Amino acid sequence: MSAGPASSRPSGIPGVTEPGPFPVGAYAGKLRDYLRQRARVQIFGEVWNLKASKAKVYFELRDTSGAVPCAMWRDAFDALGLPADSLADGTQVVVAGGPDYYVGGRAASPSFSFDVTGLRVAGEGDLLAQLEALRRTLAAEGLFEPQKRLARPVLPRTIGVVTGEGGKARDDVLAALHRRGWAGRLVWAFAPVQDRHAAPAITRALQDLAATGEVEVIVVARGGGSMADLFAFCDETLCRTVALLRVPVIASVGHHTDRPLIDDVAAERCSTPTHAAEAAVPLHPGRERERVGRAAGRLAHHGRRAVIDRARALAVQSAAPARHVRRERARLHQRLRELRAAATRQTDARRAGSGRFALVLDRKAASAAGPERVDRRRGLDAALAALAAHDPERTLARGYALVEDPNGPPATLVTTAEGARQAGIVRIRFADGAAHAAVDPTPEPEPDPHPDPTVPPTPGAP
Amino acid sequence: MSTPAPTYESATARLEEIVRRLDSGEAGLRETLDLCQEGRGLVEFCAAELDAVAAGLQELRLDELVARLERSPTEEAS
Repeated sequence: MSAGPASSRPSGIPGVTEPGPFPVGAYAGKLRDYLRQRARVQIFGEVWNLKASKAKVYFELRDTSGAVPCAMWRDAFDALGLPADSLADGTQVVVAGGPDYYVGGRAASPSFSFDVTGLRVAGEGDLLAQLEALRRTLAAEGLFEPQKRLARPVLPRTIGVVTGEGGKARDDVLAALHRRGWAGRLVWAFAPVQDRHAAPAITRALQDLAATGEVEVIVVARGGGSMADLFAFCDETLCRTVALLRVPVIASVGHHTDRPLIDDVAAERCSTPTHAAEAAVPLHPGRERERVGRAAGRLAHHGRRAVIDRARALAVQSAAPARHVRRERARLHQRLRELRAAATRQTDARRAGSGRFALVLDRKAASAAGPERVDRRRGLDAALAALAAHDPERTLARGYALVEDPNGPPATLVTTAEGARQAGIVRIRFADGAAHAAVDPTPEPEPDPHPDPTVPPTPGAP
Repeated sequence: MSTPAPTYESATARLEEIVRRLDSGEAGLRETLDLCQEGRGLVEFCAAELDAVAAGLQELRLDELVARLERSPTEEAS
């Protein structure tokens, strides 16, 4: 204090009748003295937020209706010889002591605490027991399941994040999404995350995010803290709201050893805000782009090759019929040669057979018709001689001539003198040829009644 | 033929299936051309989905989003 309290004492508030004003340090000292005179008692409750400094051990003693901050000298606490983890959050203890007040100073904050001089561990706390009872109730109602059944978008366009405005969780979420290559729309719903306003505020934020109809997944993130700090995330209303929300909720509350109730009802629980952000975007957009690009490349390849490859295959196949035809032709030629050879053999055999048959027939015919044929030949020869004797040509050769009418049908003989006169012109055929002659139409005097028919007429006579 | 896939997941699954079928070499010409066409549609769909989450990080507070959503119906009406 730079100046004495008494020297700078201000005047009081006009019209106010209480004594003073007194310096605050003096009042704080009096308050401490007053509290220290209170009866020293034993109280019980659950230990929460145990912290140790060099000189003192601090914790809160709680039950469902209230709490008192407690402080115990470090050497007295160590003298109890408690196992290291025996005063976990929620441990039920009995403490002895009385109220005390630390007056603080210019550079130190004042604080009230229950000065603990004795401590006994009494068992697990009611708060944790109540939490477990609530967990069983929600499980029995099937409220752990609805969120797990929700469809999770693999590439959400809009992500909602419920977290404390100044917390590290916010930076972790942003960094994780950046690493993922996700650059969509991020909706922040800031809410207190550890006092008694926390649960209703978080509940409202979740409902509002879902009500926008645009948020596809919600991350609820809070860094580590004591279980007492995390009690907001065990709130029954909050947990029922999460369970029935139509938007999947990914919870990352506290450390991975903590088990706030929101972990059970959420679609997924993650140990850190970073993991929660990654879980919100299951696919890595950058890698997906490569994957889709590869698929597009394969499609383009097949699209190009579809026609080219088939054209080549067709070209190869189109040669097959020609090969087939060549093969068939060769086979047919072979068959033809075989047929010809076979036919030749067969006709030779038949010809030989027929020759023999003809010879036999010939001989049979000769032997059967031999004598009769000789007789017939003689008869025929005689008839031939008789015919030759009567042949007019032979008569001409002997000097006779035939008189023909050249106007009548061929070889119309003129056999009478009257006929010759009527014809006028006659054709006289000799052995060496024919000559035409004109006939005098006047009748001949009565010729010699006895002409010698054997004397031929004078050649050239009319 | 399936209609264009409603989700990115089903689209990529179908796309992989198509590529496997084409890579197998068992598809005939008509099927190959059909599959290529269907695949191109799926690639376009997937690319659009990826573009939507790569447009650039946009941060806004819940109350801003709510205000914007409340404003937009009147804008549409006017």
